[in-house]
Amino acid sequence: MNTQRIGAIFEKDLKDFMKNMMLLTMPIIPIILSLIYSRLGGDEGLPVPMLYLIVGVAFSSVTASSMMTMMAEENEKKTLRGLMMSPASFMDIIIGKSLVVGLMTLIALTLSLLFIGIEPFLKIQVIIGLVLLFLFFLFLGIGIGLFTKSVAATSAYLMPVMFLFGFTPMMGFLGLEEDSIVIKIADLFPLMQLINMHETESWMSMGVVAIWTLAAAIFTYICFKKERTDD
Amino acid sequence: MEHAIKVTGLRKVFGNHTAIEDISFDVKPGEIFGLLGPSGSGKTTTIKILTGELGQSAGEVSVLDTNAGSFGTADFKSRIGILSDNSSLYERLTVYDNLKLFCKLYDAPLDRIDVMLEEVNLKEARSKVVSKLSKGMKQRVLLAKALIHQPELVFLDEPTSALDPGNAAHIQRGLQKLNEAGTTIFITTHDMEEATELCDRVAFLNNGKIQELGSPDALRYKYSTHAFHVETFNGEWLVIENKTENADKIRDLIASGQVKAIHSDNPTLGQIFLKVTGKELV
Repeated sequence: MNTQRIGAIFEKDLKDFMKNMMLLTMPIIPIILSLIYSRLGGDEGLPVPMLYLIVGVAFSSVTASSMMTMMAEENEKKTLRGLMMSPASFMDIIIGKSLVVGLMTLIALTLSLLFIGIEPFLKIQVIIGLVLLFLFFLFLGIGIGLFTKSVAATSAYLMPVMFLFGFTPMMGFLGLEEDSIVIKIADLFPLMQLINMHETESWMSMGVVAIWTLAAAIFTYICFKKERTDD
Repeated sequence: MEHAIKVTGLRKVFGNHTAIEDISFDVKPGEIFGLLGPSGSGKTTTIKILTGELGQSAGEVSVLDTNAGSFGTADFKSRIGILSDNSSLYERLTVYDNLKLFCKLYDAPLDRIDVMLEEVNLKEARSKVVSKLSKGMKQRVLLAKALIHQPELVFLDEPTSALDPGNAAHIQRGLQKLNEAGTTIFITTHDMEEATELCDRVAFLNNGKIQELGSPDALRYKYSTHAFHVETFNGEWLVIENKTENADKIRDLIASGQVKAIHSDNPTLGQIFLKVTGKELV
């Protein structure tokens, strides 16, 4: 890793992000959603699943979406190959981009949580859980962005990511029975595990989220190996 | 360093298709080496293997005394420059921001940006957004990007293909200057005049095989008919073989005042390519 190269990629991607209307509008989604939800809570505040729904929307629409769009655009315009052929390592490239995505996610998430109440998230265990969840969505975004050949195609992948991993608490509103297989599977998803961790303070749930993050990291690595050469 | 590039028995297979079939050549340090061939002949595949973008199926490849296994290192990458069909720019950023990124990635001083913009005749476009540039201007920015870190060896895949003749000539002069300063250049081109003008040696690649290799002058001599074409004032064309016994014949023609012009019979590289491969170089 080389800090100068990471800094160069961060500077380039930040400038590019600020000039890309498609990316710039993504952080607005969770902020607007939290503004609407903040009117629903009343004096007791929003229930925990609703709070995490905002978190899921922020991570899927800002972290995963921005990362996959940035990577897919680099792929589509062939600029990623230029970066990879430079002395910058894949880690330099990914860290530089992740810092931009992380900054945007932090701004969008902080503003969103300020509207719906940030206090429930100011616990060390919850913060660690949020960091793991951020990494999960980040790896998912990098991996999908690497194998997606165009920005237009990313929307086809973003939808399942958003609905499966970002809107998981919404499964509860589908009217399915508690012991249905869909609900049981959905309960294993990272966002539901974080809700469980928030309510029960269980470290086991954190472990499940860590496994999801590890799986996403492996997925990214496989996509990178495929992208590295034309073989 | 004896060779800037050394390729022995290189072969590249994609599925059932053999793109490169057992080619061998070397490029000396400080040389301008041209790889010429029609589309699909394997030029770009060769460049990709030499720069580490592709792995070879068989054979040995060494570039700047580095074996193919080490082409991925930062040290190797900082010693080479690449302009290929895969090269591109960040369209929303300015020319300056694009070059600044690569200056920092290659650890080159930022004052190289203005030097390179001067070299590629683009100083006035410094603050322009890349998406507003013409195709030729973008090609010149890409060339500046490839050379910004003063590499020891540059791979140029059709560097002047999108340029008008004026800018192409400007870039060719720049490449000659760069070469005089010691940079080795590996170039692919369709432009035979460019190859004749620039290259110390050229290789003809056809169907993945090298069919001819040598200096442009040596090749033109080799494929010459070794005859003089004499044009007379009464419109006749005489073909006289370049042999000592024909010296009197030529002298008599000149002495009789009949000779309007005498031409040697050196074919162009394009004509030689057609003769060797049976294909036009397009």
